Amino acid sequence: MKPFSGELVFTEDGRITAGGEGFSAADAEEVLVKAGVGCGLLYVKLKEGENGNKERVLCRFTMSGLKSAGEFCKVVNFFIKTGKADIPDKPEMQNCAKCGRSLVEGMKECLFCYNRLSVLAQAGRYIKPYSKTILFTQGALVFATIFFLFTPLFNRYLIDTHLRPQTGMLIQITVIALGMLLARAMGEVIFILTARMFNRASISFANELRVKAYEKIQRLSMSSLAKRTPGDMIRRVMSDTTVIREFLSDMGRWAVDQTILFAVVMIILFVTNWRLALLAFLPVPIIAVAMSRFWSILHIRFERQWRKNSKSQSILHDIIKGIRTVKAFGNEETEIRKFSNVARELAEVSEDNEKLWARLFPLLTFFTGIGEFLILFFGGWMVLRGEITLGVLVQFTMFIAYVYNPLRFLVSFPRWLADCMTSMVKVFEILGEESELKEAILPENVPIAGGLAFEGVSFGYKSYEPVLKDISIDIAPGEMIGLVGKSGVGKSTLINLVMRLYDPNIGRISVNGTDLRDISQDYLHENIGVVFQDSFLFAGTIFDNIAYAKPGATLEEVIAAAKTANAHQFIMETTDGYNTVVGESGHSLSAGERQRISIARAIIKNPGILILDEATSALDVETESVIQDSLDKIIKGRTTIAIAHRLSTLRNANRLIVLDQGKVAEMGTHVELLKKKGLYYNLIMAQRQSSKTEVS
Amino acid sequence: MNTIGSIQNIDIGLLDSGKAEFYFTSGGFAGLKYDGTDYPHVTLKRALPVGQPSEFISVYNTENKEIGIIRSLSELSRENLDIVAKELDSRYYCPGVLEIKSVKDKLGYVYMELHLDTDKSGGHTKSCAVKDVSKNIRMLNEQSLIIFDVDGNRYIVKDIDKLDKASRKRLEPFMF
Repeated sequence: MKPFSGELVFTEDGRITAGGEGFSAADAEEVLVKAGVGCGLLYVKLKEGENGNKERVLCRFTMSGLKSAGEFCKVVNFFIKTGKADIPDKPEMQNCAKCGRSLVEGMKECLFCYNRLSVLAQAGRYIKPYSKTILFTQGALVFATIFFLFTPLFNRYLIDTHLRPQTGMLIQITVIALGMLLARAMGEVIFILTARMFNRASISFANELRVKAYEKIQRLSMSSLAKRTPGDMIRRVMSDTTVIREFLSDMGRWAVDQTILFAVVMIILFVTNWRLALLAFLPVPIIAVAMSRFWSILHIRFERQWRKNSKSQSILHDIIKGIRTVKAFGNEETEIRKFSNVARELAEVSEDNEKLWARLFPLLTFFTGIGEFLILFFGGWMVLRGEITLGVLVQFTMFIAYVYNPLRFLVSFPRWLADCMTSMVKVFEILGEESELKEAILPENVPIAGGLAFEGVSFGYKSYEPVLKDISIDIAPGEMIGLVGKSGVGKSTLINLVMRLYDPNIGRISVNGTDLRDISQDYLHENIGVVFQDSFLFAGTIFDNIAYAKPGATLEEVIAAAKTANAHQFIMETTDGYNTVVGESGHSLSAGERQRISIARAIIKNPGILILDEATSALDVETESVIQDSLDKIIKGRTTIAIAHRLSTLRNANRLIVLDQGKVAEMGTHVELLKKKGLYYNLIMAQRQSSKTEVS
Repeated sequence: MNTIGSIQNIDIGLLDSGKAEFYFTSGGFAGLKYDGTDYPHVTLKRALPVGQPSEFISVYNTENKEIGIIRSLSELSRENLDIVAKELDSRYYCPGVLEIKSVKDKLGYVYMELHLDTDKSGGHTKSCAVKDVSKNIRMLNEQSLIIFDVDGNRYIVKDIDKLDKASRKRLEPFMF
């Protein structure tokens, strides 16, 4: 079968047809994806091949076809294993119902069919609790604006009716002036009150979005979280919600008011004198187009400046973080040059932008004033000819400001709205994401102290890259299992499945005969203790860090855990004992001390299952023996799964499981596996050889 | 006196191109016969895919172990070169951009319509979306630029100056 252009089909009767030629999936061992750069290929490993050549290319594809290829592999491989074509696992790939394109990882909606209306509809759902405040403030703002509109009308009335020598009366002027003052004051009072109400609502709305996004991140599965970087998630929770708040309080608040103001003023002007109104309106389209173009040029240019700035900051951050390496290699001059170049480029772009701003802004202001000039010139001429009164002219000149201010606002509004909607999309993506780990409707929270069983478990972080293949292991209650194998064979993946950070693609994992998927996640995590290689301590006291696993733990429990973990001694040597603040800006602890705190944290809740993921790998031999001593104490009677780079630390394991290429390659005690002289024996010999070399 | 080993004397495992015989298996994979050993499925990897795509091509076996390095494609015979070039082309897929027909910025993504040099009949137009443009549209040097879309496809603009004026203008905001 040769690579082809066309359809690749797998039918329920187990036939694979590619490029017109077909064969039975029963003749295949496995279908696999081989990733290239910007493309990939799908191939089959046959049970028997011509001249021993068992591998055949089925098709090549661009990255847009990667997910389809992965799904194809999953379905065909399931068929090869079980003889069934209906895979129980839901497909990882989803397609857009509208355009058929596959959805981007982590997104529920199609990028190409996503529209602004659907974003606004989503925003509407979240903003609903604040709708009364928003409607009230918008209405009040319009009301306040009407008060401001009285000023030109009063002016016109005052000039035309009372500002006449000999006929006008001071009392009438005083009444009108007071009326103007009152209208202005009323407008300002309403402005202040609505601003406070609106800002409070927008801050609460943004804060609620922020908290909901953070809550969602906490509840998402590891597979969902792994699709995004920590920086990306922090930006969505903090920066994007801030953009939304700023838009609402700075721009959104004025949107209705300014639109109505613009429309009402135009109507008043046309009703008063349509010819002058036309003159006032004449430059409006030109100014609107000019402003829109102006903002778009500035946006592109300032975006470029922002990116240059961001690049220089990132170089600076990188160099300062790695200053020790820079100095050790004597590369100070190179780094100075590198930063100077970026800083110079930034200065050049900034200077260009400032020049442009300095040139364009006065021009724009000048053109905005043209309407006023036209009104004064032609209006004055009409006054002289007696076609309009002086009051009407004054009213026009005053109203003209009410036209151009909203115009400036309305022209820049779409840009602000677009930025806000971009941030909304990012926040809604998080809020709308469903956890891939489903919580059991009626959880069976069996005691987590019994045995663990893996039954035909296959798993891959991506469907086309299986990490674990058909794993079946029975672990007895209280048994200690050592997981051994080269890096990347799936050891950490296996314990991730035990912790139910992910669910298997095929097969099941059970505790005391109950599937992990039928146990509530909170209950499961309460009963599993974990010690990782990189013992992360949160900013807080040592007490807080140990009690982190068991909120509400007493000091007695914390001390007991610390003593079991051989941590009590060094904790008491610090000035503040268990009150000592640790974390990034706290008391500095050695790697061994941090690890002992994390061991104390793992055992304080007395877990039925204990997981040790390279718990001593980052430590020196002397510290390792202290930690090992504390580990030996805590694993007694607990079902324990331990991964260790140094195989000597697994000497107490009841059984060792050697993983190779995602499969269980060997299983047995240390002595049994040594006698077997297989993979484990080779690993031991390689380590002995390397220790000998180090010693000599 | 201690003798310091020179880095230039380290054997990087260069293949003797005279002893190498590349071929395609009936299954469609590239194979290599070298120094009496047959490797029926090899993977070719460029050490510098962007700067020097024709030099230092590493040859791997199915266990992901390096068999050796081809210093330069120019050292290969015509037959070997055809096979290696074909295999590299199918492993590294990065079509060139002939024209940028449109660029739209919508809701945090940049949507591009690109005319690509994917075949001899004048190429084809592809719509793609790019997320986080500062990371996914990158200048490779003064002349060329690479675009990564949301699916992981890559497209290269080999020479920005050779693009038409409208395409250059559309690309301008991303050239930094």
